[in-house]
Amino acid sequence: MQNDTKVIVQVDKTVVKIEGVNVKGLNIQQLEELLQDKLKSMTRVIGVTGNSIEMDVYGIEEGDVLREENGIIKIIALAEGISVSDVTKLSSVKKIKSVDINSIPEYVENGCRGERWNLID
Amino acid sequence: MISRAVIIPTGDELKSGIILDTDSPMIMQVLLNINGNCNIIRNEPLIDNEDIITNCIKRYIEKEVDLIVLIGGSGGGHRYSSTLGKDFTHSSLDLLLDVKYSTELYGKNGHLWSKLICGIKNKTIILNVPGPYKEAKAAIEAFKNAYIEDSNNLQIINAKMSEAVKMQYGSI
Repeated sequence: MQNDTKVIVQVDKTVVKIEGVNVKGLNIQQLEELLQDKLKSMTRVIGVTGNSIEMDVYGIEEGDVLREENGIIKIIALAEGISVSDVTKLSSVKKIKSVDINSIPEYVENGCRGERWNLID
Repeated sequence: MISRAVIIPTGDELKSGIILDTDSPMIMQVLLNINGNCNIIRNEPLIDNEDIITNCIKRYIEKEVDLIVLIGGSGGGHRYSSTLGKDFTHSSLDLLLDVKYSTELYGKNGHLWSKLICGIKNKTIILNVPGPYKEAKAAIEAFKNAYIEDSNNLQIINAKMSEAVKMQYGSI
């Protein structure tokens, strides 16, 4: 027996990638709280490597994030497990783009719907 | 009643110590709220590899634990960003479970943000929660409430968990 439900979440977010950091032993909760205090908006850290952090920031436009670049870098430096340097930067700031949910491209095994929509572009 | 439970965190970044595992202690606390006498094992973090995750789950199924909670690897973001880990917990559960209920949460950009699965294999209930702390907390607390209400209705448990995670997107 199996049942699969699909839900579309209608929420705007901007995906921000920071590079040039050194990460070891990061407490993501602490980092998210620091960023939320700074940006006054919900922030979710969604990916971390030894030298980069990727996060979703909800309800803020790309330009507003870019204007806060220096402040964001100063704030993340306060989190345990992160060190920043002169080369630390916001390497990517992109607001997500909506797709037509009524026109779902053909299924691809193990694929994500985003891939199918992107194939149409 | 859940008397023996296993928590399995996943992710290369956890395994290598780049990030701390704050989800497992929180999940343990919630499970102890269901049954204060529950024996809970926290497995060492697993790397993002479908075979490794699948084999680990199988070992605990053979030991007839009551519940397995997998953490992380529920999305599909690795296809778009090299920063994001590969997401294999839901594909492992898809392979393993005979009885399963799942909810796929897609963003308006069409990307899979999270796929939550709840199912049963032999006598073991198996489910996954997203890696981000607040989403994991919302999911496991929804599980607790739904399980206490009706432990046999996995479809409702999955629906409640998914709704709780969905509510986290965009709210502080």
